[in-house]
Amino acid sequence: MYGKHWRSVVMGTALLLAGGCASGEEWQTWRSNTSHFASKEHYDFSMKNRSGAATVTRQDVALAQNQNWFGKAVTVDQGQILER
Amino acid sequence: MITMRLGRAIVGLAAAATLALALDPASAADAPDRVLQPDKYTSDKGRALGQKYQAALRDLNTKIYHCMPWLDVKPEGIGFYKPKHLDGDVRYLSLNVNVDQQPAPEFTRLSVQDRVSSMFSRYVPHLLRSMATNDLLKDPNLEGFTVIASWLKAQPASGQQAVMETAAAFVPKALVANFLRGQATVAQLAEGAYVMAWDGETKLGAMKPRAWADDFVLTYKVAGYTPDPKINCN
Repeated sequence: MYGKHWRSVVMGTALLLAGGCASGEEWQTWRSNTSHFASKEHYDFSMKNRSGAATVTRQDVALAQNQNWFGKAVTVDQGQILER
Repeated sequence: MITMRLGRAIVGLAAAATLALALDPASAADAPDRVLQPDKYTSDKGRALGQKYQAALRDLNTKIYHCMPWLDVKPEGIGFYKPKHLDGDVRYLSLNVNVDQQPAPEFTRLSVQDRVSSMFSRYVPHLLRSMATNDLLKDPNLEGFTVIASWLKAQPASGQQAVMETAAAFVPKALVANFLRGQATVAQLAEGAYVMAWDGETKLGAMKPRAWADDFVLTYKVAGYTPDPKINCN
């Protein structure tokens, strides 16, 4: 009776370890995405629009543009096209 | 055909796709000043135009900021500039914008000529309607209008710098007036415009875009965004 109970505990623990834990790759993914929100502004926006259709201000758009940006882009300078 | 390809190619705009961001909604944003200040012109003619139409240029800046939020007017991107390829103190009202859009693979696969044609069709006629007021069309010191648009050519690979393509369209005033009176089509507008293109900082030279009617600017709405009711977006 006692031995049967002990076997169940061992098997259950093994199953939990094998199936319920994240793999190394999954932990890596988790570590590289530590936050659900991209930024404080993202969090604020989500909290503001928790129910119903989202309302977007012009400032939201500007922030989205800034935060989506890829850094300084290679582009022609206006001075190559126009003179003051 | 190209129009249909463009419709598929230019997909969701970055601003619309990434609008999970915000500040306090009560703080309605004023448009950042993108107008060249009158004291920065290098000739009396430019300065006089800048002073005379300062309010009109500010209105244009405000209108684009609120009514076409996916366009970002560059700093000092609005002014009576002299096109570099023209001789003499020739003054065009110029508008220089970045188009905030995610490049779909279909758009990236188009030839540069077709991308320039697509962007010309989409933005130049519509922006000219906002730029060319009756007063400006009648002003003898103004020779034409310039629309400069830059867009992301392709999604940059990880760690790579983004490269913008740019097209600058220079349109003589008489042609703009004819277009606005309905006496010239969008195709004729493109035929009569002088268009130059750049790939990043590399000049590609003059191009002859084809153009067609494109009502994207009139019909596109950023999800959830309503322009400030004080601004006339018509």
